[in-house]
Amino acid sequence: MNGQPNNPQQPRVRQGMDYGENEEVQDVHAAIAREKREPRVGLEPLSIWIIIVYGLALFLGGAYLGRYSGPFTGEALDPPVHPMKKVAAGGAAGPAQELTPAERGKKVFSQNCATCHQMSGTGVAGQYPPLAGSEFVTAGSRRPAMIVLKGLQGPLKVKGVQFGTAVMQPWDKTLTDQKIADVLTFIRSEWGNKASPVSAEQIAGLRKELASHAESWNEADILAVPADAELPGGAPAGQPNEASKGAPQQAQPPKPQG
Amino acid sequence: MDATELPLKAPERLAAVQASETDIVERALIDASTRIPVLMFYTSAIVWLLLGTLLAWLVSFKAHSPDLLGNVSFLTWGRLRPAHMNIMIYGWASMAAMGTGIWLMARLCRTVLRHPLLIITGAAFWNLGVLVGVGAILVGENTGFQWLEFPPYAGLILFVAYAIIMSWAVLMFRFRRGEQIYITQWYLIGAFLWFPWMYAAAQLMLFVVPVQGVMQSAVAWWYANNLMFLWFGAIALGTAYYMIPKVIGRPVYSYHLATIGFWTYALFSSWTGLQRVVDGPFPAWMITASIAAAILTIIPIVTVGLNHHMTMAGNFQLMRYSPTLRFTVFGAMAYTVFGALGILLSLRSIARFVNFTQVHVAYSHLGLYAFVSMILFGSMYYIVPRLVGREWRYATLIKLHFWAAAYGVGLMTLMLLAGGFAEGSNMEDPTMSFNESTLSILPYLRGRSVAGVLMAAAHFIFAFHFGLMLFGLGRTASVPTFLNPVEAEGSETHL
Amino acid sequence: MRGLAPLFLGLFAIFAFSWLGLTAIPNAQIGHLDPEVNPQDENDMYPLPPSGMAERGRHVYTSNGCMYCHSEWIRADYISADIERKWGERRSAPRDYIFARPVVLGQMRIGPDLSNVGKRAPSEETSAAQPGASPAGSPAAPPAPAKSTSSPAPAGNPPNKSASPPSPNQSPAPPQNAPASSPSPEGLPYSAAWHHQHLYAPRSVNRDSIMPGFKFLYEKRRISGEPSADALKLSGRDTPPEGYEIVPTYDAKCLVAFLMSLDQSHPLTEVKAGAAPAAPAAASPAPSPAAAAPAPEAKK
Repeated sequence: MNGQPNNPQQPRVRQGMDYGENEEVQDVHAAIAREKREPRVGLEPLSIWIIIVYGLALFLGGAYLGRYSGPFTGEALDPPVHPMKKVAAGGAAGPAQELTPAERGKKVFSQNCATCHQMSGTGVAGQYPPLAGSEFVTAGSRRPAMIVLKGLQGPLKVKGVQFGTAVMQPWDKTLTDQKIADVLTFIRSEWGNKASPVSAEQIAGLRKELASHAESWNEADILAVPADAELPGGAPAGQPNEASKGAPQQAQPPKPQG
Repeated sequence: MDATELPLKAPERLAAVQASETDIVERALIDASTRIPVLMFYTSAIVWLLLGTLLAWLVSFKAHSPDLLGNVSFLTWGRLRPAHMNIMIYGWASMAAMGTGIWLMARLCRTVLRHPLLIITGAAFWNLGVLVGVGAILVGENTGFQWLEFPPYAGLILFVAYAIIMSWAVLMFRFRRGEQIYITQWYLIGAFLWFPWMYAAAQLMLFVVPVQGVMQSAVAWWYANNLMFLWFGAIALGTAYYMIPKVIGRPVYSYHLATIGFWTYALFSSWTGLQRVVDGPFPAWMITASIAAAILTIIPIVTVGLNHHMTMAGNFQLMRYSPTLRFTVFGAMAYTVFGALGILLSLRSIARFVNFTQVHVAYSHLGLYAFVSMILFGSMYYIVPRLVGREWRYATLIKLHFWAAAYGVGLMTLMLLAGGFAEGSNMEDPTMSFNESTLSILPYLRGRSVAGVLMAAAHFIFAFHFGLMLFGLGRTASVPTFLNPVEAEGSETHL
Repeated sequence: MRGLAPLFLGLFAIFAFSWLGLTAIPNAQIGHLDPEVNPQDENDMYPLPPSGMAERGRHVYTSNGCMYCHSEWIRADYISADIERKWGERRSAPRDYIFARPVVLGQMRIGPDLSNVGKRAPSEETSAAQPGASPAGSPAAPPAPAKSTSSPAPAGNPPNKSASPPSPNQSPAPPQNAPASSPSPEGLPYSAAWHHQHLYAPRSVNRDSIMPGFKFLYEKRRISGEPSADALKLSGRDTPPEGYEIVPTYDAKCLVAFLMSLDQSHPLTEVKAGAAPAAPAAASPAPSPAAAAPAPEAKK
């Protein structure tokens, strides 16, 4: 240590418990005694590279400020639009044509149906029936299409499980034919379901057929329709369906599968 | 500042930097005068740290297991989270910062702290304010603004406490001895003055004469950001500027860099903050100004980083021995990472993905923990022995503290950054249901809980060790507690 | 650097600069906005001050920290997927929030955005038919009363159909005092009943949810005589024991009132609308009577 006269030269530092050391007054201040002097600054000059970095930073920051500020008013809301951004906007989902019907249907499902039927298709026990493995979904396309178009109320037994009084709203006013067809295609091919896709034309036909039917279905109505009834116009040789609740038959020429 | 007379590169004899006898006596007197106030701040801070850590545990576990301890009103997640944030900010970090700041100010101004009773009273009031505020949050009196959740009456108590404490510190500065004002003092005076200004401005504009609509949000984010940089960051950087050159015994590399670093830090950091609401219901120019300021913070980041690095150059091996240096250098490096991340996250194309995700949590913790808290830990390891006259007892505990904290915050940051990016890209993809974005973050939240266990261990170890010091159970020795055995004779590693 | 004075000035200047730029000047620009009045219809003003229950509900919202998981602002469609997700029909603007105190924009989306959750409610005023029933300020009163015959006696059960298919009279009475009420089916998503059930036990409505339950906002009490109108319809693990029912407290009702008042679909001139009104599919899942009706009508 520095010049503390009555302190015998201490051995150079070693690690270890020092309880054997003396407790003279100066050791109580040992920490302070061995400190170095207070810090001070040196005067190295700025290197040119630093100045270049500063210049670049200022330029970038200023350029950003200039480009994205928009007019200095309270009305030009963030972000200011730039044409090149708009091109990128469709990027995430892609224009609709590039998605398959099932992918489009998944979008429709996640935005409209998943709240109740869950993305896993299992529904919620006691409340919302499952779609995975549901006989109403996987058999003929007529039943599920009817349910989606006009809604369903009242008790219902699905996969042997009784559901009480859940209410499914009709979607004929809020979803287009294409969307209904897509979501049906999706649920009929997801979660292990393997059933035929559904086309927009089929839905359009059914919509016309049911145009005069204003009410929601109940279980009896749906069960009255044969399980394997397909909508006309579909690929698996859509059989003309038996009389449903008195709606007139529409014989449609077979159309290419949508 | 006058230039140092020592050659800057590789001075031959470090013995020349040892202090003279008058200096020793003077410092001893100063330290004795700051003893009780600073220890009181530190003790309170550590108690709040432990409480805040417990709350952090609850918050982290409940995030992925929401039914844990569910349905008790004061334990609901939405109340625990702000309670945790506010305890850490106003309880732990602010009090540790004030303790360190007072000690540094006293040392650097070379004045004895007179009338310590006033500062002690102030500290007690501050504790009261935090207690009242946190209690209010837990019973449901939350103002709704991040980091300003304390109801106005608790804020008032804090403000009064602060006025008592800091006017004394500013007076110390006013009556300082010595011509020069050292870098640390700029940062500390800045912080001591900025905090009441920003706090008063926020309280006035939000509660007393409230602004309308989204302006409340703008004021709140302006305040939160200024708190991070102009209060915590300034004290932390100032502390690093003292500890690093002090411990290694060499001068700070460049005065010019220090000056530029300080002023640009304050100028640009104070303008950031609104990049949290990119694309939000605000005029574009405000948000762009914040982002441009964030880009410009590259200047202080590079400057301060370079200054510290060049000061340390050739001395990194001392980090093996000195706890203070280890924590402080870790914190200073974390500042660089934190700053760089902040710039990245403010660019619009990235902000779009990470807005609304856990990335913000990672960013806040990188700043408040990896940067500020680690530097504060380092300062406590330096200062406490000088106040209690004992050395830290177990080097192992210090090492455990360091590694648990470092790994803990590193793991947490990684988990939340990765998870947040996953969450964000799921959210931006409309073919994915919203549930999927929430589900995608769950494994990362569990990883964060693991990190939380590490950090909690670090804090409890530190608290225990500090408790030992407080009760006079440290080592009586003339040798500091090194973290590793010092090898050879003749190595100049006095600390 | 020498001297306190220049240092002090510099510090103050920096503080004042950012304070001016980020708070004072913007406050002059957007801090004193008034609601916008539709030039074609003087009575159509937006936004309107919220009802008392909704204001208190906002307080319940902040006191339980809902804003730490839910955001309340919609971003433009050309740079985000918010509108594609049906969280709103247009981006948010400062004018949407002028009556919000405190404004809870929120910063995280651990849960979905709530700006328009009131708009997505199924039309309930069919069964409501009493003052203050739609528990929010007028914006929540869905428009186009034309279609739905308000049948104040849904006392029937499910197959009770009024003339209009799109609004199945299901929803049990709104949160507060309801007229007749029958054990009604579970609520359609985002109806008041649904909100109550979701707040009470989120995982009973959405299995993947990590939202905490707020059972402390509900009371369990003995059924005296008739089950009360606002008792929650629960099933499975959450069902109360025999003879008891779960009823929302006043705070819960206010919270739901607040949620039902959240609706930013009314167009504003400073915001160019998103893809919304044209496409029929633009309406939210709720069968709000395709009132994506002509703009002046949309009283939201």
